Amino acid sequence: MHFEVYRYNPDTDAEPTMQAFDVEVERGMMLRDVLLQIKEKDESFAFRHSCGEGVCGSDGVNVNGSNHLACITPVAEFREPVVIRPFPGRPVIRDLVVDMSDFYAQYQAVDPWLKRKDPVPEQESLQTPEQRARLDGLWECIMCGCCSTSCPSFWWNPDKFLGPQALLTAWRFLADSRDQGGEERLDALDGPYKLFRCHTIMNCVEACPKHLNPTEAIGHIRNLMLKKSV
Amino acid sequence: MNRQLSGFRAWMWQRVSAVYLALYIAYVLLRLVVSPPGDHDALVAWMGGLPMWLATAAFLVMLLLHAWVGVRDVVLDYLKPAPLRLLVLLAVQAFLLACGLWALAVLVKLL
Repeated sequence: MHFEVYRYNPDTDAEPTMQAFDVEVERGMMLRDVLLQIKEKDESFAFRHSCGEGVCGSDGVNVNGSNHLACITPVAEFREPVVIRPFPGRPVIRDLVVDMSDFYAQYQAVDPWLKRKDPVPEQESLQTPEQRARLDGLWECIMCGCCSTSCPSFWWNPDKFLGPQALLTAWRFLADSRDQGGEERLDALDGPYKLFRCHTIMNCVEACPKHLNPTEAIGHIRNLMLKKSV
Repeated sequence: MNRQLSGFRAWMWQRVSAVYLALYIAYVLLRLVVSPPGDHDALVAWMGGLPMWLATAAFLVMLLLHAWVGVRDVVLDYLKPAPLRLLVLLAVQAFLLACGLWALAVLVKLL
């Protein structure tokens, strides 16, 4: 198959270029395998990867215009030429490696831990099966960044808008029966930027390799704000 | 929860105003189709009746509110330099205020 790969080293290159590669594709081959073969052909090519099975979330890339996690994306599903670029809207460090600092800062900003007002119990904080079930579709996020970097609102305001990943995480803790920081979490989410830059574009839903739904989570947060205000 | 027209409150008023605008426009269109006023005097009499006048005054307020929240959203998304943003927001406010005063003058004449 024919691939065109984004190449850019900000330290030495005046501008990015696209480099063509032909790779022999075998049945069941994932995009990460192709990137590894390209790396064998040209050792200067840089991309992030680690576990190779959709757990670590390292190898998110943009392929033919949409974001994918390379290790769990069958390469056969793409139309040729397969154009591979780094995540859109992020500063490029080298080739497909981008600076995700804003993304991690936004995750940190939602206080991604359980907040307790009551004394912490001696053993576990128990949940009913129903309370636990509310977290399904939320805890599975592997923070690959496919969602936030496909969101135009995050492209425009990556320093102020939390982005779909952080907002999914915010709802994951708001929905948790063991969390007692709901009021302060909602207060922190109010304001023109953090939550309300979301215009329900839903690129995040399409991009998520884990089939999670950040837009729905954002809707739940807004509904909770509405309930608290009336 | 903050008291300014931003964040949650802006989002909520945008939705409330959208529902009101949709209902008002649907009612006016339906009325014009089902029972159109025969002439200008009949139209003025219909619009000048107290219930319709109040509904139209509320429509005006909701329209200005909806437009302000919507345009400000676009400005917040796209315009980064603070002076330019301030200038555009002031221009939008001035335009909406002028529209509002003009519509108010028309409403007052209907009474």
